[in-house]
Amino acid sequence: MEINPKELELMGKTQSPPPGLVNFFKVEDVFNLARAHSLWPLTFGLACCAIELMAGGAARFDMDRFGFGVVRPSPRQADLMIVAGTISRKMAPCIKTLYDQMPSPKYVIALGGCATAGGPFKYPGQYGILEGIDKIIPVNVYVPGCPPRPEALLAGILELQKQIIEGKAQGRTSPAVVHDSQDNRPAEHKNAISRAEFRKTT
Amino acid sequence: MPTLAEKDIKTWLLENVKPDEFLEKDFKKSGILFEAVVPSGKIRETAAEFLAQGYFLESLTAVDFAECFEVVYHFNRWESPPKRCCVKILVPKEENKAPSISSIYKSANWFEREVYDLFGIHFTDHPNLKRILLPESSAIFPLLKSFKGEPAGSDVEQSLKLIEEDKEGFEIRYPQTITEHQKEYYLNLGPQHPSTHGVLRILLHLSGERVLDAEPIIGYAHRHHEKMMEIQTYQACWPNMGRLDYVGAMSYNFAYALLVEKAMGIQPSRRVEFIRVITTELNRITSHLLWLGTFLMDLGAFTPFFYCFDDRERILDILEMVTGERLTYDYFRFGGLDKDVPADFVPAVKAFIPHFKKRLRDYDLLITKNIIFQKRTKGVGVLSRENALAYGVTGPCLRASGVPFDLRRDEPYSIYPELDFDVAAAKDGDVFSRHLVRMQEMRESLKIVSQIIDKIPPGEITLGKLPKNVPKGETYTAVEGARGLFGMCLLSDGSLNPYRLKLRTPSFSNLNAMIDMVHGCFVSDVVSVLGSLDVVLPEIDR
Repeated sequence: MEINPKELELMGKTQSPPPGLVNFFKVEDVFNLARAHSLWPLTFGLACCAIELMAGGAARFDMDRFGFGVVRPSPRQADLMIVAGTISRKMAPCIKTLYDQMPSPKYVIALGGCATAGGPFKYPGQYGILEGIDKIIPVNVYVPGCPPRPEALLAGILELQKQIIEGKAQGRTSPAVVHDSQDNRPAEHKNAISRAEFRKTT
Repeated sequence: MPTLAEKDIKTWLLENVKPDEFLEKDFKKSGILFEAVVPSGKIRETAAEFLAQGYFLESLTAVDFAECFEVVYHFNRWESPPKRCCVKILVPKEENKAPSISSIYKSANWFEREVYDLFGIHFTDHPNLKRILLPESSAIFPLLKSFKGEPAGSDVEQSLKLIEEDKEGFEIRYPQTITEHQKEYYLNLGPQHPSTHGVLRILLHLSGERVLDAEPIIGYAHRHHEKMMEIQTYQACWPNMGRLDYVGAMSYNFAYALLVEKAMGIQPSRRVEFIRVITTELNRITSHLLWLGTFLMDLGAFTPFFYCFDDRERILDILEMVTGERLTYDYFRFGGLDKDVPADFVPAVKAFIPHFKKRLRDYDLLITKNIIFQKRTKGVGVLSRENALAYGVTGPCLRASGVPFDLRRDEPYSIYPELDFDVAAAKDGDVFSRHLVRMQEMRESLKIVSQIIDKIPPGEITLGKLPKNVPKGETYTAVEGARGLFGMCLLSDGSLNPYRLKLRTPSFSNLNAMIDMVHGCFVSDVVSVLGSLDVVLPEIDR
C-alpha cells in the first residue's frame, strides 16, 4: 500500500513509516477491517450528550445492529472513546488518564458542540471548561449538534469505520488557542455596584 | 398552627436579634415574606431558632457589592402556604469572614464551601472549608465582580497543569490507601463509573465491604452557568436553562419564565399556561422514565432500560413536534412560548395516554412486585425526617420520607391550583419508597395531562415586544422540578443582564444527604441509594 507523504503530513504525522522493523501493509489492512467492525466503546458520559448516547444504545436506535454495542465500563477493554459532553477543567486530567489506559489502537469521537470546541459554554474569558477535547487528545471524528441526535452519532461511528478501513484513523489535535472570528459576543464584565445606592432605589 | 409560627419567628427576630434592617415583602411579587439584615454575630442564634421552628435551609449564597459582601440565607418550611424568609448578613471586604452555621444545618456545609469557592468568603469554624466546584489548585474566585475573565488559552494551560499534577499520583489527593488495621481502606467510586450517572466521584471509607463513611466529590461538570448569566442578556440565558438539568429541562424553563415575569409584572395568556403545564408534565414523565431505566440497570436488571427508553422516545416525539428539540429544550419565552403547538399535538398526546397507562401496569408487575427488587431496596438507604430537614432535601426523596411537600400544591404557580392531582408520598424513606413515589408521580402527571389536554383555550402565544431589561430589585421563584425544589434568586440592577442570579438546584442538597444515608451499607447498596436519589450532575455543579 502506497502512502502519500503529503497525506501523512496533513494528518499530523511527520515520519512516513509506522514504527516497527518490518511492516506488513496488507496484513494491516486485514487488521483494520477487523478493528472497524468490532469497536468497543467506553461507557462514559459527561453531560447532556451522554443521554443521547444512551438513547443511541436503547431500543429505537439500537447501536448494536452495526456491531458497536459492546459498551465496556473499563477503559482497558475498550478501543473507542466517545467524549459525550462538556469537559470541565477539573475533569480534563481524568479523561486524559482514561485515554492513556486504553490499549492501542484507539479512536476518539468528539460528540457534540462542547467536546468539539466548547459549545454554548464558550465565551471570551471563560474559566470553567476546556474548549474542545482535541486540545489534549487526538480526535478522529467530530459530531456536531447540541446535543446531536442518535442518528448523528451513528453516522459518526460509521464515518470512523470508513476511516479505519482506509487506514486513515490517526486522529488530530488542535492548537491551544483557536481564534474564532464568529464569536462576537461581548463579554461585559460588570463592576460592583454600591449596596447603599441599590437599597435606596428599590 | 402555621400563621402563629410565622408570627413567632418574625416577632422572635424583632425582639431577640434586633435586625439592622427589616423589610416586609409582598410574597406574590418577591417570593419571600420578609427580609432581615441581622448582625453577623447573631446569625448562628438565628439559624438555630429557624431550625427549632422546623425551617430548612433552602439556599445560601452571596452577593458582591462595592463596599461589602451580602451573605443571603433563605429559610423555608414544609407547609402550605409557604413561609420563605430571607435573612442576610453583611461581610466587610477587608475582614472577609463570616460565622459558619454548618454545625446547625448540615446542608450549610456544602453551601458555605460553594460560597467560599466562588467568592472567597471565609467561614469561621467550618470543619472542611475547601474548594467544592473548581479544582483545588485553582487561584480564582470567579463570581467576584473584580474577576474579569481568564485569558484565551488558559483552559489548555490549566488542564495540562492538572494533568501534570495528576501524573505524580492519583493517590496524593486521597487519604492513605491502607490503614494500619488493613481492614479499613479507601475506595474511589468515579468520576468515571457506569453507575455514578455522569461525573460524580464518591470517596468511600470501607471496612471490608461495609461503608464507614462516604464523601461525594463534585465539580467535574462545573460549566460556569452563574457567571455566564451575569454577562449575557436575559434572552441569551434561555439555552442555559435547557442544559442545567437536561433530563427535566421544561421545569427549569418554567422557573426562569416565572422569575422574569414576576420581576417584570407580566402575565401570560391562559393558552400559554395550559401548554406550559402539559409539556412540563410530559417532560416530568420522561425524566422519571430515564431514572427508572438507569436505576434498574444499576441494580443489574437490563430489560427495563429498553422498555423505559421505548416509552420515553414516544414522549420525545411529541415534545420534538412542539419544540423542535429532543432533550435540551428552550421552548418558553417571557410572557409566552417560542411557538404554538402543531395541529397533531393533541391527538398524539391522546394516543399516548392509554398506551402509557398500560405500560405503567406492566412496570408495576415487572418491577415493583418483583421480589428480588424488593429485597434489594427495602430498608436500604433510609432518610429520616430529621435528616431531610437538616439537609434541605426536597422533591420525591423528601416525599418518600413521609412529608407531602410539593410546590405544585403548596406554593401554586400557573394553573396548578385548578388541577386535580394528589401529592405522592410514602412513609419509610428507603430506596423502595422513593421508587414508589416516582411511579405514583408518573401516574399523577398523566392524570394532569389527560385532565387538560382537551381544554386548551384559544389565545395569544406571545405578549409582543417586551422591554429588554428587568426592573431593579430582588425576586425569588421556585418550582417543583422532577428532582425537587428548583429556586432562582435574581438580583437585578435594572440593566440588560442579571447582576446576580443564584440557582438553587435540588440535587445539590439531595446528594449532600447521601452522606448520612449510606452508613453501614454495602458498596452495592451505595449504587442503589445513589440511583434512587436521581441526581443529575451538571445541575449539581452548575
